[in-house]
Amino acid sequence: MSNYRIKTIDPEMRALQIIKYGEIKDSLAVNEVTIPAVQAKDVLIEVKAAAINPIDKSIILGNLQGFLPIPLPSTSAYDVSGVVVGKGKEVMDFAIGDLVYSRVPQEQMGTIAEYVAVTSGAVSKKPGNISFEEAASLPLAGLTALQSLEVAGIKEHDKVLIHAGSGGVGSFAIQYAKAKGAYVYTTTSTTNVSWVKDLGADRVIDYKTEDYKTIVKDADIVFDTLGNNYTAEAFQVIKKGGIVVSVIGAMDEETAKLFGMADYKLPEDLAKAKSDKEATYKYVFMHPNGEHLGQIKSLVEDDKIKPVIDKVYPFSDSVEAFTHLASGRAKGKIVIKIA
Amino acid sequence: MEELINKIKSRLELSAEAEEFLYSISKEKTFPKGEVLIREGQIVRRTFFVTSGCLRSYCIDKNGREHTLLFAIKDWWISDYIAIHTDELATLTVECLTESKVIEFNAKELDKIHARFPEFESYQRHNLERHVVSLHKRILNQLQLSAPERYDLFLKQYPDIEQYTRNYHIASFLGITQQSLSRIRVEKAKK
Repeated sequence: MSNYRIKTIDPEMRALQIIKYGEIKDSLAVNEVTIPAVQAKDVLIEVKAAAINPIDKSIILGNLQGFLPIPLPSTSAYDVSGVVVGKGKEVMDFAIGDLVYSRVPQEQMGTIAEYVAVTSGAVSKKPGNISFEEAASLPLAGLTALQSLEVAGIKEHDKVLIHAGSGGVGSFAIQYAKAKGAYVYTTTSTTNVSWVKDLGADRVIDYKTEDYKTIVKDADIVFDTLGNNYTAEAFQVIKKGGIVVSVIGAMDEETAKLFGMADYKLPEDLAKAKSDKEATYKYVFMHPNGEHLGQIKSLVEDDKIKPVIDKVYPFSDSVEAFTHLASGRAKGKIVIKIA
Repeated sequence: MEELINKIKSRLELSAEAEEFLYSISKEKTFPKGEVLIREGQIVRRTFFVTSGCLRSYCIDKNGREHTLLFAIKDWWISDYIAIHTDELATLTVECLTESKVIEFNAKELDKIHARFPEFESYQRHNLERHVVSLHKRILNQLQLSAPERYDLFLKQYPDIEQYTRNYHIASFLGITQQSLSRIRVEKAKK
């Protein structure tokens, strides 16, 4: 490791930027840009590794323009691990040289770059027993899984169904639920059954040959990571009074109100399914949170959660990394090594 | 501090002047769990004698993983001696794994105390010899012993340490994975 204290930082840096919306290969470019300004509560992170998630691909394709308007060009991605090389005057919890990881907030998006400035509340020290690449793979998927299962009130002996166990969120959620002492059902395709089982799932359902609806009965919690018909179907397999948490299905009414949609009503099929089972339905928006990342750090250091990485790409092959993400064939997270 | 002075007195004739000097270059301090006393990349000016608690020194490899060099419990010394003796910046980080009471010494002053008080010459030489022996043993153990044997030795060397440390601290001290450490513990429990 080099000495970060006396290092001088070049005011220009390389960053992978979204230059327009559209096909991945036409929409990304490596640009020389100015290092982000460090505000009073920010730490400046020298990026060692960044990870990409389905949302990054959706942003590039322009699918989220109405929902997450971003100025173009913008540097891509949210997940990062690296070293603190600068900090604002109000930052007390971090020191220059700390090894950290984060899911950066929307307004600070841009982790596929040599540096990123991040509000310190969204940052945690990284787990000491894993590499920068592994650490970068955790924040977005880990926070999504942790926050969803905590909203669901997960506890020991709960029966939990986690859809898409081989996905970034699913693979983390399985391990988190097991760490909490739950009994875990998960769905995946034939080729992934073996390694998903190794994550600790008690019953891995091969959706190509089995119907999960006939296997899962009276679940306490269904964690819906797939949406579409899976959200309503979740109510078929939960117990009376159970809870369905979704990160992709329809918004629940309470959440909609927070977003100013006072007249919003849950779609009829969901409302009926929910009422038939006297169940709870919650839509969860992942929010950046350094304390939650601190909890994940402890779980990783105690070997209760292992990062699952499909492939690490060098910075120069970032576009290829996105193409691989778009193929949907990754088993685990896709990481870009920056330095 | 008195305890340390008495230890020194049991090994050499400590003059009042030397005792006063020791007090002048040291300070008793209590640090909370998690406090970093020496950070990689910094100038190292301090060395610590542990009176209670547990500290750890570790390096961070280029991939960001930690490797534990040493645990320090009561009556152990800890610092980054590479930095102190070569005048280079710290390559190690020293952190408190528990709330720790230490006597913090000015490392340079302590290092050359024998120049001012020659009675420290043989004392420091003896300490250095013990340090070399312990390091050589650690290297040889790493080269020739199996992981379960190294774990057994570790427990003898640091009794009760498992209450202060995380598994990955111990695994990284022994140079094994956490999964291997778990297997070794299970096997040991069966015996």
